[in-house]
Amino acid sequence: MSELTSLRPMQLDAIREVANIGAGHAATALSHMTGQTIMITVPTINVAALEEVPPSIVAPDEPVAAVLMSMLGDLTGRTLLVFPTDTATRLAELLLRRAHAPGTELSDLEQSALKEAGNILSGAYMNALSEFMGLMLLPSPPSFAIDMARAVLTTAYLQFGSDRDYVFCVETEFFMQDTGESLRGFFLLLPDVPSLRAILRAVRLA
Amino acid sequence: MSTPMPGDPLAVTESRVGVADSRLLRGSGILSTHGLGSCIALAIYDAETRCAVLAHILLPCEDRAGPVARPARSAVHAVPLLLRKLRSAGAGRRLVAKMAGGASMFGPLLLMGGVNMGERNIKATRRALQDAGVLLVAEDVGGDYGRSVYFDVSTGTMLVRSLKRGDRTL
Repeated sequence: MSELTSLRPMQLDAIREVANIGAGHAATALSHMTGQTIMITVPTINVAALEEVPPSIVAPDEPVAAVLMSMLGDLTGRTLLVFPTDTATRLAELLLRRAHAPGTELSDLEQSALKEAGNILSGAYMNALSEFMGLMLLPSPPSFAIDMARAVLTTAYLQFGSDRDYVFCVETEFFMQDTGESLRGFFLLLPDVPSLRAILRAVRLA
Repeated sequence: MSTPMPGDPLAVTESRVGVADSRLLRGSGILSTHGLGSCIALAIYDAETRCAVLAHILLPCEDRAGPVARPARSAVHAVPLLLRKLRSAGAGRRLVAKMAGGASMFGPLLLMGGVNMGERNIKATRRALQDAGVLLVAEDVGGDYGRSVYFDVSTGTMLVRSLKRGDRTL
């Protein structure tokens, strides 16, 4: 834990920059897939006790579509892509080029399209990190869920993390400009603590 | 998801329990906690005095020894805490427990070095209840989906709501 809270501002900046490069590539991939303009925010770093992770994304019981992937290789950790339902629905429409039947849940085909999109976006994110840092990064197959936001997030933090007390998470929010309306999504990078050190070494700030 | 009890004229208060937290209510009202994944919602209840506590448990036990800042965080510390709370509120000895949660979401990835936290939480909570001599009368645990829980203090019923399976009453 001390390791997480004692990161210097310079090191935090470096991690944010690394995440920004990853998110930038993922946003470009999303833009190509959908033909929409995608904007991303400056990544924010959350270091918090498990029970205090800010419920920044959406209300805890609000449904979200999420794609979780494990990173293996020189860096280990996870990436989590989170789409609130309105974004997920619109994204599925754009990917499949057909309208979603109103009042229904996402069909198997639509879910499959989102899972594949998540796979491509996470792959783009990890590839960018890998190239920028000169580290080998292997993405696992994607795992997809539509469920309550808090259930999804705590599972991503807890079920796989090496540290059970603190969460280290780099979050990038992205916006899809769509007919005047802005649809949000979130990209979370959850490096394991030893991998944080590897990232800092790679950018010569260890 | 905003209406706590379906078809219920919700004149009663809903008291929300946060992650790693617990709350006690007497007489009437709804104790709720939202978006449980691998976490456990544990309610212990005394029907006679209508005294109930609900905890949102995150972990089976604490990794580190030493003082425990938030006893409701882990199953082993949460059960004694809930019993203390009930006792000081004047609850009787005929306590029963109901629990929900302990899901294993993103199952396929678990095979790649994940820990099945849901399963561990379920086992640890059952054991902690057994050790404390509290009877577990109903549970809705496991699966691969999230849950929200609403415990009605006046009736002792637990409503478990999920996106996948709809509502279930314990």
